[in-house]
Amino acid sequence: MLVIPAIDILDGKCVRLFKGDYNQVKQYADDPVEVARKFERDGAKLLHIVDLDGAKEGSAVNAEMVLDIAKAISIPLQIGGGIRDLDTATRYLENGIDRIILGTSAVMDQSLIKSIIERFGSDRLVVSVDIKDEIVAIKGWIENSDLSLDDFLEILRGIGVKRIIVTDVSRDGALTGPNYDLVEGISGFKVISAGGVSCDEDLKKFKGIEGAIVGKAIYEGTVRLVKNNLAKRIIPCMDVENGRVVKGTNFVDLKDAGDPVELGKFYSESGADELVFLDITATVEKRATLVDLVSKISKNVFIPFTVGGGIKSVEDIRTLLNAGADKVSIGSEAVRNPEFVRESSREFGSQCIVISLDCKLVGAEWELFVKGGREATGIEVIEFARKMEEMGAGELLVNSLDRDGTGKGFDLELLTAISKAVNIPVIASSGAGCKEDFLKAFQVVDACLAASLFHYGKLSVVDLKGYLSDNYLTIRK
Amino acid sequence: MITIIDYNSGNIASVCNALKKLGVEFELSSNPDDVANAKKIIFPGVGRASYAMKQLRKSGLIDVIKNSKVPFLGICLGLQLLTDFSEEDETDCLSIIPGNVKKFGEGLRVPEIGWNKVFFSKPSPLFRDIDDGRYFYFVNSYYFDEEEFAVGKTSYGCEFASVVQKDNFYATQFHPEKSGEVGLELLSNFCELC
Repeated sequence: MLVIPAIDILDGKCVRLFKGDYNQVKQYADDPVEVARKFERDGAKLLHIVDLDGAKEGSAVNAEMVLDIAKAISIPLQIGGGIRDLDTATRYLENGIDRIILGTSAVMDQSLIKSIIERFGSDRLVVSVDIKDEIVAIKGWIENSDLSLDDFLEILRGIGVKRIIVTDVSRDGALTGPNYDLVEGISGFKVISAGGVSCDEDLKKFKGIEGAIVGKAIYEGTVRLVKNNLAKRIIPCMDVENGRVVKGTNFVDLKDAGDPVELGKFYSESGADELVFLDITATVEKRATLVDLVSKISKNVFIPFTVGGGIKSVEDIRTLLNAGADKVSIGSEAVRNPEFVRESSREFGSQCIVISLDCKLVGAEWELFVKGGREATGIEVIEFARKMEEMGAGELLVNSLDRDGTGKGFDLELLTAISKAVNIPVIASSGAGCKEDFLKAFQVVDACLAASLFHYGKLSVVDLKGYLSDNYLTIRK
Repeated sequence: MITIIDYNSGNIASVCNALKKLGVEFELSSNPDDVANAKKIIFPGVGRASYAMKQLRKSGLIDVIKNSKVPFLGICLGLQLLTDFSEEDETDCLSIIPGNVKKFGEGLRVPEIGWNKVFFSKPSPLFRDIDDGRYFYFVNSYYFDEEEFAVGKTSYGCEFASVVQKDNFYATQFHPEKSGEVGLELLSNFCELC
């Protein structure tokens, strides 16, 4: 769900009204443009701007300032207040404003809504439904109409409105908690709730709505906009055996898709956020070639890349890092000798120590496996994950033996349990079958890894990122 | 010719690969004379602040770095070491750029590992042809809490200085050598413009 910060402009300043009352104003900042930039920096994905002067006067009083804000930021914004005719709407929509919000005018003149939808499409319009004592309110909440909510929604549906903002005026700016029943009872619209949010807990209780507008609570610091601004990472993984990428690849545009050097370069240049190379070569003798390979790969890869497979000593790690790897992934050896993890993270820093966990549900618990999933250890996964964090692991790469190769989606229960148990980044692996699987997994993890899905060309990193971004995830493009 | 300070605390390989890709000549050295005579310096760093300061002391590099008058680029820990003090092991640093390095607060996954946006707060030659708000790759558990010399800012729980600039000293909290095309662009700007 989107958390949408609000900027309410009155006399050119950034303010909040208490319960929509123009006589109870609290000023938060002098310069709304600077506030907008700050919200963008803090990770907002959409801004909600209200021209309070405009709402009161019935014309776009602060239009210049709103357009200045649009120029100063690169995230979308929606603006409401004083838009009462097609000229004003057009001025906004043709000058960098993504959506306009109609409230009062929607009640008084539905022909305006119709002509905006006809000209710009229903995506560019939001209707604000302000409710005061179960009646639709108008004119900056000063006057009441005689329409009930249901009647009003029926009208909106009839003229093609797709998205609405629902404000319980009696809760706005009062920090008393949102009116959940009101917003969740509405169907057939994309619903954005406004008003009443006072803390993170309030936000968590929303179900099924697109977003919530938060004003005062952000200014007062009781809601932090986004705690984690990091882009969700997409990580193609290549299994390398005897210097060749296995799990077959069928990129038509690569001369040799089995060549890890070429494939690494391809992914590095086509939007992957990181790369993982796992050496599955069976014999130690043949493994010596890995170092040479890592060195060749790293010359063409300017995103972080992790190398794993058979790492058993501090010396192994040093050799790989010197060859150009940025991180190493440790599996069996971390289980056999957890102290090795502590030793490695002290020597090289925890940022380059990734611990790979092979997990399988046995009875009611997840059990840790080693040797490519062939050997059970009797160790419970969640406890082990915590232990690895304590030992200095920088990230956990979570493989599910139950899901690997099934295409049935990541094991969300497992990932949720681990993610809650530790405070280091968690990378989901095993089971990705479609882009929706990534969207679900990213609700609980920081990064997702997949192999054949990308290699076989079933899904491209670029398409996947487009889809995730459309669904409001933070994605590097 | 760029001199990369190689003091046993950096992932030198990635920086070297990036400079090779850019076609920029470089040498690796931990010799104070080489660093004193360098035309341009890159100061990478990963690992712990206390250990890195020890390595610098051992190599006799502290004063040479402090007195450096040539364009100088610190990367990651290389930024944090330029400050007065780091909370990591309570370490006194080089005091080239005033301010302190602090640990990220509660409620965040630490280390910060991944791609985060850099917003320009002041102009810098490092930013030529780079758009405001692009993603760079970060790996850090500590951040530089600084206003005056910050030219780029990033938020992770709180806002911190992700690019700093004071006189001939430039530094980035992120790894430009691992930040894809935009990172190479920034490195190239340092090589060409600073």
